[in-house]
Amino acid sequence: MNNRRLLVIDDEETISRALERYFRRLGYMVDRARELEEAEALATYTEYSLVIADLSLTGSVGSEGLEILRYLRWNCPRARVILLTAHGSEYSEREAYRRGAHAFMHKPRPLADIARLATEITRGGVH
Amino acid sequence: MKLSLLDQLRAPGAIRVEFQPIMTVNSHGPQLYAYEALARGPKGTSMERPDVLFEYARRKSVEAEIDLICIAEVLTAAELLPGKPSISINLHGSTMTNVEQFAETFLALAKAHDIAPERLMLEIVEHRAPWSMDILRTTLDELRAAGIRIALDDLGVAASNYRMIVDCRPDHLKIDRYIVSGCSTDPYRLAVLRSIVTLAQSCAAIPIAEGVEEQHELETILSLGIDKVQGWLFGQSKPASAINLERIPS
Repeated sequence: MNNRRLLVIDDEETISRALERYFRRLGYMVDRARELEEAEALATYTEYSLVIADLSLTGSVGSEGLEILRYLRWNCPRARVILLTAHGSEYSEREAYRRGAHAFMHKPRPLADIARLATEITRGGVH
Repeated sequence: MKLSLLDQLRAPGAIRVEFQPIMTVNSHGPQLYAYEALARGPKGTSMERPDVLFEYARRKSVEAEIDLICIAEVLTAAELLPGKPSISINLHGSTMTNVEQFAETFLALAKAHDIAPERLMLEIVEHRAPWSMDILRTTLDELRAAGIRIALDDLGVAASNYRMIVDCRPDHLKIDRYIVSGCSTDPYRLAVLRSIVTLAQSCAAIPIAEGVEEQHELETILSLGIDKVQGWLFGQSKPASAINLERIPS
């Protein structure tokens, strides 16, 4: 069984697809969600080893990307989570780590950087 | 402007329907008993997976709306099925109580598609209780009086439990694949199946085993006295246009 399962949560189709293609080449099985509820529905039935989520999802209400952290913490506790943001503040970064994120990264960044970070955190490194 | 996922699901034809045979297996061999209609979201999206589709609908609190869309799509697709087979349709129990005059609406839809109520079975799935018991009972009575059969889906897992049997008085008990899969070698699954057979007899309900994929599972199921089965052993789900009655073993 492939235990490299990635969930990409981003409402920007271009970025989401690029991440999907890149990580598929690295051997991941990839699902994509663009809304909080869609991500939660997917995570209800699939055990992901890695989640890459955008902090801001326009289709969701409230704290958006941070909300998924709460859900994953209880329902997908083995998943390593990278939170991406284009406009994140110190507060949101602190809050992300407090809610269980394993890494926080400012966009835009090359896909290779994200993949390197993914490798580190899935080996138990970083935060 | 980009459509939201929910709006995508609301678009006509976005929900696709496939049918999987439920068979009666006895000394005459397997015969078609009914088709279960299985709804799928748009191709290429996560909603293609029915578990994700309905979980999403529940999280958006639109399960009744999605149920009604699915019913309309199922009845439309069912017109293409060869012969006049029975059709089983999944439905949240809460939809029966949250949609005003559900029985009337459902029967009117069936009539519009020229499908007799006697051909229809509603499989109740539930993830969220409670609901209004008075409305549920009235709705079930109206549906039964019209000739519609009631099944309890996913028996043995999740919220499909004894309370659902007491509340819904089902005509059929659909045993979840989790219990069926591996039943020929697992004494615990076998024990659960035996107890369901006894329960079904006491409630005058007909058990249906879901997820039968192996011949040895079928033999075990039959040896327990369950003769209604569904699963890959008898065919995967297909769109109505791809179903030819001659291909169904008989």
